Amino acid sequence: MISAYYFGAISLVLIGLYAVLVKKNLLKILVGLSIMETGVNLLLISIGYVSGRSAPILSEGIGPNQAVDPIPQALVLTAIVIGVATTAMALSAAILIYEKYGTLNVEEIRRLRG
Amino acid sequence: MNGQYASLLIALPLISAFFVPLLKGAGKKAVGYFLVVVTALQAVIATLVFQQVYDTGKPIIVMAGGWKPPVGINLYIGHFAALFVLIVAVVSFLVAVFSLRAVKVEPIDKYAMLLLLLMLGATGMIATGDIFNLFVFMEITSISAYALTAYNKTGEAAEASMKYIILGGIGSSFFLIGVALIYGSLGTLNMAHISELAWTMNPTVAEVGLALIVFGLAVEAEIFPLNAWAPDAYQAAPHPVTVMFSAFVVKAGLYAMARIVYLMKDLWNWSSILRLLVILATLTVIVGELAALRQRNVKRMVAYSSISQIGLMALAFALGTEAGVDAGVFHMVNHAIVKTLLFLGVGYVALTLGGTGIENFRGLGRRMPVTAFSISVGAVATVGVPLFNVFWSKVRIILATLDVGYTWAAVLVLGASVVEAVYYFRLLHTMWFGEGGERRDESLTMGLIMLLLALLVIAIGVYPDYVWNIAQKAGNDIFNVAQYVKNVPLMGVGA
Repeated sequence: MISAYYFGAISLVLIGLYAVLVKKNLLKILVGLSIMETGVNLLLISIGYVSGRSAPILSEGIGPNQAVDPIPQALVLTAIVIGVATTAMALSAAILIYEKYGTLNVEEIRRLRG
Repeated sequence: MNGQYASLLIALPLISAFFVPLLKGAGKKAVGYFLVVVTALQAVIATLVFQQVYDTGKPIIVMAGGWKPPVGINLYIGHFAALFVLIVAVVSFLVAVFSLRAVKVEPIDKYAMLLLLLMLGATGMIATGDIFNLFVFMEITSISAYALTAYNKTGEAAEASMKYIILGGIGSSFFLIGVALIYGSLGTLNMAHISELAWTMNPTVAEVGLALIVFGLAVEAEIFPLNAWAPDAYQAAPHPVTVMFSAFVVKAGLYAMARIVYLMKDLWNWSSILRLLVILATLTVIVGELAALRQRNVKRMVAYSSISQIGLMALAFALGTEAGVDAGVFHMVNHAIVKTLLFLGVGYVALTLGGTGIENFRGLGRRMPVTAFSISVGAVATVGVPLFNVFWSKVRIILATLDVGYTWAAVLVLGASVVEAVYYFRLLHTMWFGEGGERRDESLTMGLIMLLLALLVIAIGVYPDYVWNIAQKAGNDIFNVAQYVKNVPLMGVGA
């Protein structure tokens, strides 16, 4: 039986991919990209989860043996920041596209061809 | 010297990039010259590193914070990394000099910062020994590349950048899933450690993980189905940035791909992954050449040509033999020189005459003789005419392909070279035998840079042995994984 975390994370990735492939509106494509990044982060976090243990902050009553794997959390922290930076960059490009082309429909944005 | 100064290769561009906004008050000129000075310094450090690695024959291992791998992140500057860090630094220096002239319209301070970050990202991708660190450096490279592509603020630039962002975003997500799968099954992120443990992996997990990682890197490396962004980005980006894309951003991706694929050599179904890569690489060559044939825009034509050359390198790396990897590295070096020359020349013509359409190149031989001569040398060399450097690397790649028995791949690639000859000689004909306008003054620095690169192309073409020896050592760095693992001082933890 596949765990709900893995199933949910992969579903999010697939939903995001679907949106990128099928949607025509540029902003919806960017939303799809964000959903995909969220799915990937969830997957990373759930790989480090050890059933029944607490957050990896060493304090009274919680030793190294009662904590989940801290490495994926560091990875996700980095990946979240990267995702936000990419989204911000993409949104500013979308603004520029709307100013220059007057549309956000990806089928009409094709001045570069050949 | 213990070599820890090699960490300056990462630290110097990073610190300098943060100083750029402070310098903004001192004026546009100051920022431009600052960029030139920093890249020159980087080139000096890279030369020192190169000398040390090739003199001692031992790689420089930089351990972050003094933690031994696999606990800490390590930089592995072996023969390959030393060579390519040098190429990255020198090309960045030439680009910085070119930028003084080329970037006038838009604010130069943001441009300088992004350029330094792009250089930092490519250096890091080549030097790192940790798979997640590779992801971070890849993202630094690609986010600065997205921003630099959109830098001209025209509709075309935004469109090209958007295509790149969407494909790059999907690619990096897939890469991260691949990293997650490998980490989930091995519990380590260090490349040497992964290679040591690779045989213990569940074959299905390993196959999916490796496929996702290769997919993610193929976006950066412009392998066939994922390279649709590249010609647009090359065409719409500022001219100096195009030089950087083609000379080292692509190669960093390609190298990372080759490195990871060869790390996983012990997998039982390794050869099927290689076969897939051979097919994709051959397709890249053919599609790139055929698309270049019908271009009216010279910059776009050279961009397609660059993509097909990348396919040739990918083919060499996918053969899985030592001869192939060596030839691939040799071609990488040659291609970096030739494409720097070509894109500098085309960019300079576009700046002087306004535009990269083929009509601007008519009669260039009379209007701008030095530039026209340099572009001609680059064009003839790319086709692979004997006595120019690309001839030797192309011959070696074809021979290595035949050795493994992929006769069909060799035939198709050679056929594509004929197509390449057609469009480059068409360009040469337009340049030297077209009706031209009046004579234009050429700048002394640009002329010197281009003539120097052209001289290098011919020098390597006549005496290929020196560079070929270097390429062999660098190729061994990728191919001989056992040696790579032995060089990294792994702490005995984990499995």
